[in-house]
Amino acid sequence: MPLSPGLVGELQRILGPEGLVLSYEGRLVYECDMHTFYKGAPDAVALPATTEQVVAIVGLCRRAGVPVVPRGSGTGLIGGAMAPSGGVMVALNRMNRILEVDLPNRCATVEPGLINLALTRAVEARGWFFAPDPSSQMVSSIGGNVGTNAGGPHCLKYGITTNHVLGLELVTGTGELVKLGGKVADRPGYDLTGVAVGSEGTFGLVTAVTVRLLHAAEAVKTLLASFTDIEDASEAVSAIIAAGIIPAALEMLDELMIRAINEGTGAGYPKDAAAVLLIELDGPAAEVDAQGERCARICWERGALEVRVARDATERALLWKGRKEAAGAVGRLAPTYLLQDAVVPRSKLPAIMRELRAIGARHGVQIANVFHAGDGNLHPLILYDDRNPAELERAKAANEELLHACIAMGGTVTGEHGVGLDKAKNLPLQYADADLNFMYRLRRIFDPDRIMNPGKLLPAHPACGEGFRPPRPRLPEGAWI
Amino acid sequence: MGAVTGSVGGALAAIAGRPRVEEGAEVHAGFTIDGLLPRWVVRPATLEQVSGVLALAWDAGLAVVPHGSGAAQELGVPPAKVDVVLDLRDLDRVVEYNPDDLTITVQAGVTLGTLESWLAARRQFLPLDPPGARARTLGGIAATGASGPLRLRYGTLRDLLLGVRFVQADGVVTWGGARVVKSVSGYDVPKLMVGACGTLGVIGELTLRLHPLPDAEQTWVVPCRDAGAAQDFVLRLLDSTVQPSRVEFLNAAALAACEIAGSAAAVAVSIGTAEAAVRAQGDALGALARAAGSAAGLVAAGFWDRYDAAMAPEEGVRLGVGTLASKVGETVGEIERAVAASLAGAAPTLGGCAPLGSLRASFPGTDPARVKAIVERLRAAVAPAGGSVTIQRAPRDVRRVVDPWGPVEPGPLALMRALKEEFDARRVLNPGRFVGGL
Repeated sequence: MPLSPGLVGELQRILGPEGLVLSYEGRLVYECDMHTFYKGAPDAVALPATTEQVVAIVGLCRRAGVPVVPRGSGTGLIGGAMAPSGGVMVALNRMNRILEVDLPNRCATVEPGLINLALTRAVEARGWFFAPDPSSQMVSSIGGNVGTNAGGPHCLKYGITTNHVLGLELVTGTGELVKLGGKVADRPGYDLTGVAVGSEGTFGLVTAVTVRLLHAAEAVKTLLASFTDIEDASEAVSAIIAAGIIPAALEMLDELMIRAINEGTGAGYPKDAAAVLLIELDGPAAEVDAQGERCARICWERGALEVRVARDATERALLWKGRKEAAGAVGRLAPTYLLQDAVVPRSKLPAIMRELRAIGARHGVQIANVFHAGDGNLHPLILYDDRNPAELERAKAANEELLHACIAMGGTVTGEHGVGLDKAKNLPLQYADADLNFMYRLRRIFDPDRIMNPGKLLPAHPACGEGFRPPRPRLPEGAWI
Repeated sequence: MGAVTGSVGGALAAIAGRPRVEEGAEVHAGFTIDGLLPRWVVRPATLEQVSGVLALAWDAGLAVVPHGSGAAQELGVPPAKVDVVLDLRDLDRVVEYNPDDLTITVQAGVTLGTLESWLAARRQFLPLDPPGARARTLGGIAATGASGPLRLRYGTLRDLLLGVRFVQADGVVTWGGARVVKSVSGYDVPKLMVGACGTLGVIGELTLRLHPLPDAEQTWVVPCRDAGAAQDFVLRLLDSTVQPSRVEFLNAAALAACEIAGSAAAVAVSIGTAEAAVRAQGDALGALARAAGSAAGLVAAGFWDRYDAAMAPEEGVRLGVGTLASKVGETVGEIERAVAASLAGAAPTLGGCAPLGSLRASFPGTDPARVKAIVERLRAAVAPAGGSVTIQRAPRDVRRVVDPWGPVEPGPLALMRALKEEFDARRVLNPGRFVGGL
């Protein structure tokens, strides 16, 4: 349903001529995020520059009953920043200032459109950094990171976005501006900040974020171990953790992925390697040295083909090169792929790798794997040729089966990308009706009219609808109810 | 949903079995909550029984107080009504321990001490150390959001709770979160349960993220001229590559209680990592101390037990004061002056996590009017920086006169009220004890 002329006029008045995109071509740019399956162009794109404008936009849309869809850099992988039912998209890219850097209190307050890496760039000369490092960190916005509760390779040691958010300024679905949390750690009351992080824009729009900054470690050590068998590599991962070592990152590539990378830019992995394990340690120099030696020994004991240790930053970059190019490199194997983000308990890695091979074989698709082995977060890339509709269907079927397998092993359907439109239908795999209903009611607190990013995160399911009541417990005879 | 036809006691007995229910005169005095003896105490053996009790309470309009070790029952506003105390200590099973995944799922009544003994054999631990930690239950620590010095490195339970099974006020058993260390599927419901004092649900089961025990750990005390000098030292330490696991401020009274005399203030620092790194980091710490005109003195392992005891005296008033790391010196001075002014020159015992500005103060005086004067003065002092002052423990007469939580801004408070209304409209769970009368 197109927006009413009255609403468009009001939006233009609030945002000025530069602040509202109405043209078809202009809106088309915003029709999807990086999960390009899901397309839905908004009826208008608002580009606010101030919190006051955001408040006004939400207020107007609420009165008009029009959906509001937040968007940062559009680098999400879940069909989150797109408008399946039209409405007004609010792209926060113009709100990209660093409002305050407060090193004595180890924090910074930024606007949501600020690029993740820009924050670290602003403080690294003084020896500090912002820990969450999604692979998209050169382009993704901190607001988007907060919305999806983004992770990254280094969250094994440092935790995901939520562990680094101290406070938020949120415009809720009612158009009210609330300040949640803040620089001071201990605040009485419910942890509204904690529950708002990762709510994918369904609670409202974040207009400012206060985040923790960390002091850079004294030393970093990067090792690369290759194995002829992925099970040996998985066992090395378990042994490293069992030895009491929590590396900053622990990344793995499987045989197919290694082949793709070797055929491409050439990270120079051994040709007969079936698994490559990238281990990064950071911390006090003496700790990193001791743990580095221990990790190398563990890898040799598990039959590593070779173990390389980077001697300087250049060599470290070289070891990371293949990992960082992984998603691009598979382009040599197939025109396109479905990227998955499921998690299994770390100890189930060998089992899920076997299962993935079986699933690929059953559906006649190739599955390349690059994953955060330290926390069991898989990123299988299911390869297919999009010119062949049958192949796409097989890839989709393999994808669903893979998710079921991860859940059956005690895992979760998304480790760091989020739910969005893509995974909403999968939540019932993981949650009972009562759990879904609790989330539905929680969302309603912040957005009673359900105008904020509708269709995302929560599934179309009876438990996520008005009037649903989970069954009351059955009481024994004599306990009247 | 029929009318009440039988007795509540009979119904509770049908749910949990007669031996698990105390009624009327049978109720043990130890379950008195702020002077109110509950009409029933139920000691459920299963989560289903917890669910049954709450379903009953919901229908009959009973006020239910969840109870773990009881260590935190003097937290919050004294309740107006206590019908049922739900003694959760028999929910003491370790449901699943996955050492290779560094995760464990336990029932809410498991104590941290029990957990420690489970984990020690694999050299793992749950890095939580609120006062009196070993005797406290995980459910209680989660519900009260309690933490200690280790939060500097490992965070609080907020950062360690992966999944939670809880019972809603109407008895519906609900799960939130995941059993793996990394998940963003759906809202982060576990965050909502931490520190909510059981007002949104009764925690029944927790899935926790564990950490490896460091190979070695040592603690040093760096004496300082005063609190301001201690703050300066802490800020310099944080701006270095030393990675401490604990950095606590202590005033003279806290130092005396830890059997360390001779300075007006000090900073205790512990470093836990590989053995060689502990030595190297200790040297770096020593150099920082010397640069500040002091010295880092190694202390024996028992230090943290003494510190723990000093921070949580059995008697008197305990306050939690949240301020900024950059205002610790100023805030310490303000606390000392406020206590001295109201309590005839008495000195508070003061400590806390200086890098987080999370201070803890205790003093013996319990006269409500005097405590009120102290708390109000401190609230006014920390308000401009967004700080807070909460009463962690005090006799009920004090908490009747002074709001133990302090003010919450209207915006967030309205959302908190809406949450309580949505999930406990009948006010079954700990009614009136939380912020804003929730």
